[in-house]
Amino acid sequence: MAATTDSVKADASEAPLLNKRNLALAVALYCVFYAWVRWYEGVYGWSAGLDSFAPEFETYWMNFLYIEFVLEVTIASVLWGYLWRTRDRKVMSITPREELRRHFTHWTWLVAYATAIYFGASYFTEQDGTWHQTIIRDTDFTPSHVIEFYLSYPVYILTGMASMIYAKTRLPTYANGFSLMYLVAVVGPFMILPNVGLNEWGHTFWFMEELFVAPLHYGFVFFGWSALGVLGVLNIEIEALAKLLKKDLA
Amino acid sequence: MSASQSAVRSRAEAVSASRTLDYMILFTLFFIILGGYHIHFMLTGGDWDFWSDWKDRRLWVTVCPIVAITFPAAVQAVLWTRYRIAWGATVSILGLLFGEWINRYFNFWGWTYFPMNFVFPANFIPSAIFLDCVLVLSNSFTMTAIAGGMGWGLLFYPANWPIIAPLHLPVEYNGMMFTVADLSGYHYVRTGTPEYIRMVEKGTLRTFGKDVAPVSAFFSAFVSVIVYFVWHFFGLWFGKTDFVTST
Repeated sequence: MAATTDSVKADASEAPLLNKRNLALAVALYCVFYAWVRWYEGVYGWSAGLDSFAPEFETYWMNFLYIEFVLEVTIASVLWGYLWRTRDRKVMSITPREELRRHFTHWTWLVAYATAIYFGASYFTEQDGTWHQTIIRDTDFTPSHVIEFYLSYPVYILTGMASMIYAKTRLPTYANGFSLMYLVAVVGPFMILPNVGLNEWGHTFWFMEELFVAPLHYGFVFFGWSALGVLGVLNIEIEALAKLLKKDLA
Repeated sequence: MSASQSAVRSRAEAVSASRTLDYMILFTLFFIILGGYHIHFMLTGGDWDFWSDWKDRRLWVTVCPIVAITFPAAVQAVLWTRYRIAWGATVSILGLLFGEWINRYFNFWGWTYFPMNFVFPANFIPSAIFLDCVLVLSNSFTMTAIAGGMGWGLLFYPANWPIIAPLHLPVEYNGMMFTVADLSGYHYVRTGTPEYIRMVEKGTLRTFGKDVAPVSAFFSAFVSVIVYFVWHFFGLWFGKTDFVTST
């Protein structure tokens, strides 16, 4: 039987509106993890990542890739499954204070999503450019791709979907229907991952070297625009929060 | 839920909650827009922004402002229309520059050892401040598109001139005349070389000699006006609060 939540726990009303520890831990988790990833790239990119036919490439990079795939599928299943199974079946009857608390938790998820998006779309994507302008590629699974495409993108997809599931299952604002711009802000960046298929096919078919502004990359650009969907989410949230706080702020 | 119940226990708690949410919202907007803007910019104007030998008088001046005015226009459309916040363009550019500087230092220099004075990003801050100033003074998106967009394009080269000028000084090397930037590119070979740098200063605009940069900036400003209009409407669309319901 699914352990969904029927009502607010008795002690929930005494919990702080914002769990600052969770907020700090969420941001620290991404920063520390990606600092370690960057260290790994620095050491094993040069020592084991230059020749995909070398045994050490299999050891340090292909095994890294396989572990990523297993962990990502596992974490997605557990996290999304947990959020769905523990959904609130009486979300429309929660108290205003509990609703405000859940908005804070929702924004903690969005802060985590923003951090993950930064590392994925900014840090590791532009990093890929300088790697390709330095090292001739001889595989789709270059060290920069193992991190950029198959780690940092799935991580922000995991986080973004979790954020949307949380909003959908815990907040009255999102209970009836799907927010169009929330879908755009989460599904659009998600589509960057399938677009990797076009990118890799194009690089094996047309050209091996890197020109970042080549039209082959415009799929990434198009889906990157969808990050602006966060503006719609902002507008929805401000309207909801104004209803909760406006009379007390007047 | 009961409409008569309050979500907070005092006005002070309401103010505190509101301020805390402001910071969380700002953090989220900054980094999500940074992510989308950076991936857009690096893949439409990035090569001109990566290397100092690509920062020429013609295509760098033309391409970068045109592709960079997109997100500032969209963000302005929402932040000004709904909240009267007048720093949409500046915060977008600060996000882009944050992402670029972190990356150039830790990756271009820290991982692949290109020197920082070869890979620094272009400066858009004066252009962005100008765009925001026109909006806040005129309270008109039409005026912002025309005057702001023009200024955005025209200010780009002067704003970067103090940075790029020392790299455009001529040097003689093995009987050939280079700029310092070209010489840097000659020594820091990229995998796409030589085809990669054959589009630098490509074309016959150099016929105009010293006038290449102003002509390019003027053209860039003209296209920036049009791109601003289009992306303003993109911004309004992305700001929609519609819900999709099952039928």
